[in-house]
Amino acid sequence: MLKRTQTIATATDETADACALSRRSLLRLGLTGGAMLMGMPAFAAGDGKDGAPVAGGTLTIGADADPIGLDPTVVTAFSSADFIALIYSGLLRWNAKMEIEPDLAVSYEMPDEKTYIFKLRQGVKFHNGQDFTAEDVKYTFDRILDPATASHLRAQYSTVTAVTVVDPYTVKFELESADAAFLNYLATADDGAIVPKGVENLMTDPVGTGPFIFGSYQPNQQFTLNANPDYYEEGLPLLSTVVFRFYKDQSTLSSALRSKAIDMTWLKDPKVAALMSRTSPQLVSAPGQTSRTFPIWMNLKAAPFDDVRVRRALSLATDREACVQTVLSGSGKVGAMLPESHVGGYDGTGEMPYYKHDPEAAKKLLAEAGYPDGIDLGEYIVVAANALDVACAQILQQQWQAAGITVKLMPMETAPLLNHWSSGTWPTLLSVALSWTPDADAIFQYLVSDSKFGKAVGVSDDKLDAMIAEARSEVDTEKRAARNMEIQKHIAENAYILQVYQYPLRWEIWWDSIKGYEPLAANVRSFVRTAWRDE
Amino acid sequence: MSDTVHNTAHNNDKEASRPEAVAPRRLPFTSGQVLLVLGLVMLALMAVVTIFAPLIAPYDPALTSASSLAAPSAEHLLGTDSIGRDVLSRLIVGGRTTLLITSVAVFLALAAGLVLGLLSGYVGGIVDDVIMRVLDVIFAFPVFLLAIAVVAGLGPSVPNLILTIAIVYTPAMARVVRGPVLSVKQWDHVEAARSIGMSELRIVLRHVLPMVVSPIVVATSLTLAQTIFTITALSFLGLGPPPPDPNWGGMLAEARQFMELAPLTVIAPAGAIVFATLTFIVLANGLREVLDVGSVR
Amino acid sequence: MRRMVIARLAWTVAILLGVSFVAFMLVRALPGDFVQTSAGAQNVASDVLEAARRELGLDRPLLEQYLIWLGNAVRGDFGYSFVTRQPVVGEILPRFVVTFQLTLIAGLIAMAMGVATGLASARLRGRADWIVRLYNGFILAVPNFVVATLIVLVVGLYFPQIAIFNYTPFFTDPLANIGGLLLPALSLALAVSVTISENTRAAVLEVSGQDFVMVARAKGLLPRTVLANYLMRNALTPIVTVTGLQVATLLGGSILVETIFAIPGMGQYLFDSITSRDYPVIQAIVLLASAVVVIVNMFVDIAYARIDARAQS
Repeated sequence: MLKRTQTIATATDETADACALSRRSLLRLGLTGGAMLMGMPAFAAGDGKDGAPVAGGTLTIGADADPIGLDPTVVTAFSSADFIALIYSGLLRWNAKMEIEPDLAVSYEMPDEKTYIFKLRQGVKFHNGQDFTAEDVKYTFDRILDPATASHLRAQYSTVTAVTVVDPYTVKFELESADAAFLNYLATADDGAIVPKGVENLMTDPVGTGPFIFGSYQPNQQFTLNANPDYYEEGLPLLSTVVFRFYKDQSTLSSALRSKAIDMTWLKDPKVAALMSRTSPQLVSAPGQTSRTFPIWMNLKAAPFDDVRVRRALSLATDREACVQTVLSGSGKVGAMLPESHVGGYDGTGEMPYYKHDPEAAKKLLAEAGYPDGIDLGEYIVVAANALDVACAQILQQQWQAAGITVKLMPMETAPLLNHWSSGTWPTLLSVALSWTPDADAIFQYLVSDSKFGKAVGVSDDKLDAMIAEARSEVDTEKRAARNMEIQKHIAENAYILQVYQYPLRWEIWWDSIKGYEPLAANVRSFVRTAWRDE
Repeated sequence: MSDTVHNTAHNNDKEASRPEAVAPRRLPFTSGQVLLVLGLVMLALMAVVTIFAPLIAPYDPALTSASSLAAPSAEHLLGTDSIGRDVLSRLIVGGRTTLLITSVAVFLALAAGLVLGLLSGYVGGIVDDVIMRVLDVIFAFPVFLLAIAVVAGLGPSVPNLILTIAIVYTPAMARVVRGPVLSVKQWDHVEAARSIGMSELRIVLRHVLPMVVSPIVVATSLTLAQTIFTITALSFLGLGPPPPDPNWGGMLAEARQFMELAPLTVIAPAGAIVFATLTFIVLANGLREVLDVGSVR
Repeated sequence: MRRMVIARLAWTVAILLGVSFVAFMLVRALPGDFVQTSAGAQNVASDVLEAARRELGLDRPLLEQYLIWLGNAVRGDFGYSFVTRQPVVGEILPRFVVTFQLTLIAGLIAMAMGVATGLASARLRGRADWIVRLYNGFILAVPNFVVATLIVLVVGLYFPQIAIFNYTPFFTDPLANIGGLLLPALSLALAVSVTISENTRAAVLEVSGQDFVMVARAKGLLPRTVLANYLMRNALTPIVTVTGLQVATLLGGSILVETIFAIPGMGQYLFDSITSRDYPVIQAIVLLASAVVVIVNMFVDIAYARIDARAQS
């Protein structure tokens, strides 16, 4: 048993603050000669009052989905990211405030807007004992960019033209054009994870440099990770074992937490999390930043939604605040295209065009559009398995009815719903929530004219396309934030999509015997690496 | 779900071909009569509540409010659910959807089962083999795979649910009909009718059908009971009738997340499901004894 | 008799073939596919999805896919799960064992309860008979998922010390394993016990009216001896048959209870694989579940034919 002393913990806190650099200051440091940045553990929660962190012990996490493969380059499944985040590490990573900090890279330089030179951390080993070098970085990205791999990440790194090894601990990325999204992708657990050169079968036998080593996996039962004794961060991870137990059913998950069969989980319904922590004060529920939005996708390719007045009328007929209050019990915010955790994300209070709830104005607009007696919009398709979506849809149905707009609810199984959505074959209205993506641009891509989803929705707006492209190539964070806000207003103005609310993907909740943990808006449990058990 | 469905199918099949011992009767009225009356009273109660549901329900069952998961009070006798709807109103109106699907689906299964069972039992031979084996295939199929297939393929609507459940119960009904038909057709008066040149259709209608009425009536009320299980189980899996119309299975499934915090939201729909099922079971048992189904041979 | 058995066997094989074909086509006819579903709401390029489909062989004609599957299945190769990329047999077997265990325990509980109440009802008659039948009628009216939900509720509210969501594999700790399955098995067993109880009652009443039992009684044998040697032995065949049938259908019917208690069994697995469109797994489970039902049915039919034959001779 290793007892960390108070002084070390406090010291690390200060270092953590120094390291929690915003992207801009990191950039500045990089430009001013590649100063060494020490990636020290960020004990954001442990400010000393909980006592000194204790090493050892097992953390049992209740998970709601099995991973579908563990090779970060190849998997497309969302559920795998959480596991990949603890097994692998990337050149950069997100801290709890959603700022980028160094991970396997210690610093980088930008000779120009299209070139990044990373200095790599030395002495890092993969779980199989292999040394981590620039060759692995090159291998990882060459593999992503090779069309034969069919990696979904190729689109993310589409601006990368070459990755070259300068020396064993220096690697150079050359980009086709300035790309503000590049570093964000590198910092994201599954998108930027570095895989070891020459190792096969990562899908089932993952090998990374992360804080935990893959132990065993019994599908539907449990997934076990063991501490990586050679992890580069001094003294981390503190836990010796992390066990994920799978509970597909939300009620079972919350009952399991209550009965302490698990120490920690995340829940889909904020009301459950709130009620649970109210009845058991030893449960900690920290929602974290919002990372997900609940939109209504309209089929713009045909009447009546090819008429902007009908879309605006629907937006005016929607009482977003009431949805936040009733469905989320207030623990969310009114949503726009970008959740608050993104550069230029909407905070839920600023003005957005056609956001004011006004059924009378909606009726007037409908009358102008040729529907003086109201309109029947037919089927509104929602994800049957998602209770929050179904609940919100029922409230929306009532709100719209007040403005003379009739819809018929159609909860659908997930598989056919995704099919309708991605191929643009839904009749009029469909809702599927948009989860956090590493970069704001990925969210805007859903509405770009010639993209897969742009075509599915039926958006055709050259001005919007240009605005989105310009924003991605704006590497100055503040300027980019302003551009992103403009794009969101433009989308709301034309009501290409109706965003209702934004919320964290999951409401994380854990027993207070687990310390040093923080939820991350990036939808992965990265801070299991700093968590410890206080018995 | 499927277990109970299939059980009785077998039981009826086997029981129909085995004489049941007669229960002791020492009371002035038979136990069957008591059960029958009790069942009818329960059924009438349910029918009244169902038919006049919108008048009885204190609130619009779909009306949401900000007071979610409220405890029972004078305003909301059974409290409110997770998005602030009145549980009592949903319970009353929810019976409509549940019972409508149940009764129509069982009627369809009965009609199909009657035709197939008569054909199979009366014609016999290769027709019997083919019908029974095709039904065996359906019978061997996991119920909810069938249900998901229909719901995913055609959408979750009340008619589609009715269709699904009717398909699921047709084999059981056909078996119930086939058993007695097999024995009835050997009887002397059927042979006699045939020998005087009565048409096959008339024989079936005049002589065979009346003989299988009793077991069918019993099987129907038992199947009604099981259908309530199935429909609520499907709703439980998210394959039930679409919102905003409430239904008991859906209410139960929705409320489970909050059950330790608001137990009544779970207990109320559970109680309704049990009451409705019990009604049909009591009816079935009463009918079985009054009609003396066991002695049909 | 032998011809009947052979014919029945042939039908069983034919039914399974039919089930496998119908299941295959039905599942593929479902809108949505594995690749799109696993990508979820992420914006994945169409060519990436296409490549993934090609890799899984989903781009071939349906009939060809079925024949390939059938050819392999006949040789005992059921392919790989799309989700876990492990052989399907290896994925299903442990879950089958779990469900089988659950079913077996439920069957034993049901048999104990059913035979006891059925015997009491048949032997004591009068008021006891009434009480048992009322109890049975009521229990039959409570669906297993309602029982399961209420058990979880009561345990959660009043007995938080009972761990109900800690499924333990048998080989890790056999006692904990069986202990953990008791409550789920109980919720499955209740309704089944009613059928067994009613059949036990009927069988005992039927047998007790027969000559050899009368003779035994007339000879002055103790009631207990009559019960053990004559009644039970002869009533046992229908009881065992009914139990067998019930247990067979339980295998496919435990999905809700498995979900509620988070038991990694077949029912839950089938539901998950349908949701994720893991075709090879769905196919194998449907085949296995139907095989159990069909084969048990076959044995029951043969057993009845033998009983009938004996009765006639």
